[in-house]
Amino acid sequence: MTAAAELRAPARLRHRHRKSSLFAVLAASSLGLGVLVVVLLVFSTLRSSGELVSMRATATAGLSLSQRAVAGDSVQAPYVGIAQVIEGSSAMAVGIADGDALLTIGGTPVEDVHGAWRAVGSLPNDQELTRVGWVPHLEALLGEVELEPIADAPGKFRPRLAWLPDDSLLAAAGIRSGDVLLAVNDWPLLGSQQSWQTLVVAARQGAGPVQLRVVRDGVEQAVSAEIRRTGELTLQRDFLAAIWHFVTALDEPRYPEHAGLSSAILGSLLVVLVTMLFAFPLAIGASVYLEEYAKRTRLTSVLQVLIANLAGIPSVVYGIIGLEVVCRTMDLGRSILAGGITLGLLILPVMILGCREALRTVPPWVRHAAFAVGATPSQVVRHQVLPYALPGMLTSMILAVSRAIGEAAPLILLGAFLYVNYRPQGLMDSFTVVPIQIFSWATYPQAGFETIASVAIVVLMVILLLLNGAAIVLRNRFQLRW
Amino acid sequence: MSLPAQRAQRMPIHEPVAPAVAVAAPPVLATADFSLWYGTHQALHDVTLEVPEKSVTAVIGPSGCGKSTWLRSLNRMNDLLANVRTGGAVLYRGTDVYGHGVDPVEVRRRIGMVFQKPNPFPKSIRENLTFPLRINGVRGRYDEIVEQALRRAALWDEVKDRLGRGALELSGGQQQRLCIARALVTEPEVLLMDEPCSALDPGSTARVEDLIQELAQRYTVVIVTHNMQQAARVSQHTAFFYLGRLEEFGRTRELFAKPQKKRTEDYITGRFG
Amino acid sequence: MTTLTAIPRTPSLAAPRRRRVVEAAVRSTLLGCGLLAIVIAVLTAWTFFAGSLPFFSKVGFAEFLGSIRWAPITVPEGYGTLALLADTAVITGIALAVAVPLGVLAAVFLSEYCNPRVRAWLKPILEVLGGIPSVVYGFFALRIVTPLFQDAGLDVGFWNGLSAGVVMGFMILPLMASLSEDVLYAVPRSLREAAYALGATRGEVVVRVVLPAAMSGIGAAFILAMSRAIGETMIVALAAGRTPAWPPDPTQPMMTLTTTIVNIATGEQEATAFIWSALFAIGALLFVITLTLNIASHFIVKRFRELYE
Repeated sequence: MTAAAELRAPARLRHRHRKSSLFAVLAASSLGLGVLVVVLLVFSTLRSSGELVSMRATATAGLSLSQRAVAGDSVQAPYVGIAQVIEGSSAMAVGIADGDALLTIGGTPVEDVHGAWRAVGSLPNDQELTRVGWVPHLEALLGEVELEPIADAPGKFRPRLAWLPDDSLLAAAGIRSGDVLLAVNDWPLLGSQQSWQTLVVAARQGAGPVQLRVVRDGVEQAVSAEIRRTGELTLQRDFLAAIWHFVTALDEPRYPEHAGLSSAILGSLLVVLVTMLFAFPLAIGASVYLEEYAKRTRLTSVLQVLIANLAGIPSVVYGIIGLEVVCRTMDLGRSILAGGITLGLLILPVMILGCREALRTVPPWVRHAAFAVGATPSQVVRHQVLPYALPGMLTSMILAVSRAIGEAAPLILLGAFLYVNYRPQGLMDSFTVVPIQIFSWATYPQAGFETIASVAIVVLMVILLLLNGAAIVLRNRFQLRW
Repeated sequence: MSLPAQRAQRMPIHEPVAPAVAVAAPPVLATADFSLWYGTHQALHDVTLEVPEKSVTAVIGPSGCGKSTWLRSLNRMNDLLANVRTGGAVLYRGTDVYGHGVDPVEVRRRIGMVFQKPNPFPKSIRENLTFPLRINGVRGRYDEIVEQALRRAALWDEVKDRLGRGALELSGGQQQRLCIARALVTEPEVLLMDEPCSALDPGSTARVEDLIQELAQRYTVVIVTHNMQQAARVSQHTAFFYLGRLEEFGRTRELFAKPQKKRTEDYITGRFG
Repeated sequence: MTTLTAIPRTPSLAAPRRRRVVEAAVRSTLLGCGLLAIVIAVLTAWTFFAGSLPFFSKVGFAEFLGSIRWAPITVPEGYGTLALLADTAVITGIALAVAVPLGVLAAVFLSEYCNPRVRAWLKPILEVLGGIPSVVYGFFALRIVTPLFQDAGLDVGFWNGLSAGVVMGFMILPLMASLSEDVLYAVPRSLREAAYALGATRGEVVVRVVLPAAMSGIGAAFILAMSRAIGETMIVALAAGRTPAWPPDPTQPMMTLTTTIVNIATGEQEATAFIWSALFAIGALLFVITLTLNIASHFIVKRFRELYE
C-alpha cells in the first residue's frame, strides 16, 4: 500500500475513528441526559402548578372540595365531597351546603377532585356562569336514619328514614318518613353513610332521576327520585388573582385551595435578612484578614484546610450545631434570629472561600504600588483592593445566600414549624420558610396539596433564578479585566 | 496633630550611627552591614554602602545578584514577602529604618519607589496622584500639587487636558512617568527605581533617562539596571553587585574605565551576564 | 528645597499614635473574624462530644454500630445503626451509580469536545441545575418519579429508596461534572499533544491518556460526591419514608442517618434528654464520616496537584 493510501484511513483506522466518534456521542448524551431529565422534571412541576387557577376558581366561588369514596360491597367509586362552603359566597347563595357531594360541573360528571378542577380548566371562557350539580348532604337528603338489621345478613343494616325533612328532595319525590330504603339503580343500600354515598354515585351515573326501591308499610315500591340539585355558579379563572392570593394568604392545612405562602415567604425573608447581616461582615472580615494581613504560616494553611472542610459538612449537621449552640446555649429558642444565625454559620465557610478568590483576582502590583507611596495596610485594602474585589465578593455572597434560601433541613432541626398559620412579626417569633412549606405540603395526601407545592416550587425557583441572574450580571458587568 | 506640633516632637528614637564615610550631617541613605535571608537562603551579605546625595547611583550586576532585593530593602518593601529576615541596618538620615518602633509607612513616604513594570492604579490620572495625598490626610490644594508633580515628571504637557481620563489609557512610557510623578507627590528625599525602563520602548526609555538626570537635581536617585550602557549614561556613581555582595562601588566614569576588581571588569566587558 | 506638599511626618519615623491605634484596631477586628472559623470548628466538636456523651455512656459502640435495630421509643429499645448505615449506603450507591458515569462523561464532553461558545452557556445551565434546592428534588422523587416507576411496572412502594437514590444522582451530577472538569483541565496539554503526535484519535487520547492521568483527581471528586450524598436529607425525607429497611431493599421505604436525625427532631413523642442524646450520637457519626471523606479527598487532590504542577 502506498503511503498516501495508508494515510487515507484504512479499515482499521476507520474503525478506531468510529469508536472515537461513538465515545464523543456518548459523552455528549450523558451531559444531555443529565440536563434533560432535570428540565423535564421542572416542566412537569410547572404544568401541574397550572391547576392552581382552577382551584382558585372553585375557591372564590366559595367551595372547598375533598376526595371521598364509597367502599361498599357492591359499589366502589370515588366522589367529590364539598367539605366547606364559605359564608356569603355565591355557592352558599345557590344553596350548596357543607357535606354536599359535587356531581357535575358544566355538565361534566366529576369523579375526583382533580377531575373537578380539570372540568373547571376546560371551560371555554375564563369567566363563566356554569351549571353545577350536587346532591345534598346526608341530613338534608335523608334526615334522621335508623338502622334496621337484615335477617339473613348479620352485621349489615338497612336504612330506615325515621324522620325525613319536608324540604328533602326525597320527600318531593314522594318518599315518606318511615320508609326503608332497599336499593338505588339496583345497588343495595346498606348503612347510613354508605347509603347516602351510594345514592350520590348513582345520581352521577345518568342524567335523569334515580330509581329507588323502598319498603313502605311492608310493601316494596319503586320510586323515581330526582336527588340532584343544580344551580349556576360563576367560576372565574384569573391567573393573576390566583398568584396574588397564593402569595398573600396564610397556610391552610385542610383546604389547599385556600392555602397560601405568605407566612413562609415572610419567614424566609426575615431569616435571610438575619443571615446576611450575620454572615456578610464576618465573611468579608475573615477573608480580608486571611488574604491581606495574615502571614503565610502553618496556622493559616491549617485554617484554609479547615474552612474548606467546614464548607463540605452536611447542612443537617449545621442544624444540630445551631440547635445546641444557638437555641440552647445562646437561649434564642426556635426563633427567626436563631434560624438566621444557624444558616449564617452554614454558608460562612463557602462565602469566605468565595471572597478570598475575589481578593486574589486583584494582582499584587496594585498593592505594591499603594504600599510604595506610603499607604497603611488598611488604606491599601480600603482604597486599592476592596473596590476591585467587591463585585466578585458580592457575587459569591449572593450565591451563598441563594443556597441558604433553599435550605430546609437545618431549620427543621431548629424547630421551624411545619404548619404556621400566622405571619411572624418579630425576630424572636417562630416561623416557617418556603422550602419547609414545600416539604410539608408535599407530604399531605389530600388532593390539591401536590399542586400548591408545585406552585411554591415555581415561586422559589423564580426567586433563586433572579438571585443567580443578578449574581452573574454583577460578575460580568463589574469584573475588571487586569 | 498640627505640623508645628509634630516638629516639636522628641528627637529621633535612635542615636545616629557613625557612617562609613565621615560627613558633617548624616547621609541621606546608607546601608551598614546589611544582610537578608529568604528562609534559610542568604540573599545579601553584609552590604555596606553610602548613597551620595542628590545624584544618580546605578546598581548593576548579573541576574540574581541581589540588586533588586537590596533596593527593595531600602524602603522596606521586602516586608511584604513571607519568611524574610534581615540583619544590619539601613540608615535614613542616621535612623535605622529597620529599627524598633519605626513605621514602614513613614519610611515609604520619604523613600519613594518606581517599579519595573509601570503600575498606575486603574483609576484616573488625577486620582493616581491624589491618592498619596488623601491617605496622608492632606486636604485641599490638590490641583497645584498634581500639576507640579506632573511637571517634575515631564508629563504635564501631554496629559494636562485629560487628567480625568483613565491612567491605563496612557502608553507604557507615559504610565511610567506617571508612576514617577506619583512617587514624587509625597515629596520624598530618595527615589528608588527598579529597572524602570526595561518594559519600555527605546523612545520612552530615552525620555525617562533624561528625566532621571533632571530629577537628580532635587532628589537622590538609586536606579537598578541590567543595562550597563544605561548605567553609564545616567549615573554619577555605580555599585556592582555579585552573588549578594557589593563587589565594587565608585564613580561611574572610573568604574567603567578602570574597574578595580577583576570580576567587575569581566562583567562590564561581557564575559558573563 | 521647595516642599511640594505639607505631608505630616514624624521626625522619628515612628507612626503617629492615631494611626497606630487605628491600624491595630482594624487588624484585631479582622483577626477576630478570621478566627471565627476555628470557633465554629471548636463549637462543632464540643456540641457533638458533649451532646452524645450521655448516649454513648449507656449504649456501647458494639450495639451502636453492629445492631440492626433502631427503635428508640418502642420497648424494648434498640440503638443499632447498622440498618441505617446499610440504607444510607444503598441510596448513596444508587445516587453515585447515576452521578459518576454521567457526570464524568459530561465533564469529558465539556472539557475535551465542546466548543467554547456552547460551553459558555452550557456551564451556567449546569450550575443552575446544581443550585436547585434539594427539597425540590425530593418533591420530584416523591410525586413524579415514583409514580413513573410504578407506571413503568417497577414494583416500588409509595416510599422507596430507588426513586430517592436516582433523583439524588441527578442532583449530584452537576457537582461531579464540575469537579471532574476542573481535574481534566488540570491535566497538562503536553500529555495530550504527545498522544496526538503518536497518531491517536481524539477518543483514544481521552480514554487512554487524559482519563487515566486524571484518575486520582476524579477519585477525589467521587469521594466528595459520596460525602454529599451521604449528607443529603430532604430528598430522602420526602421520597424514602421513615422506616429502616433490613435487608436494605430499595423498593421499600428506607431510613438513612440524616432522616433519622430529622425524625428524632420532629418526633411527636415527648423529647427526653436521652433521645436528644441519641440525635447527637447519630449526628456525630454523620459528621465523622463526612469529615473523613472530605479530608481524604483534600489530600488526594493535593497529591494530584503535586503530580502535575
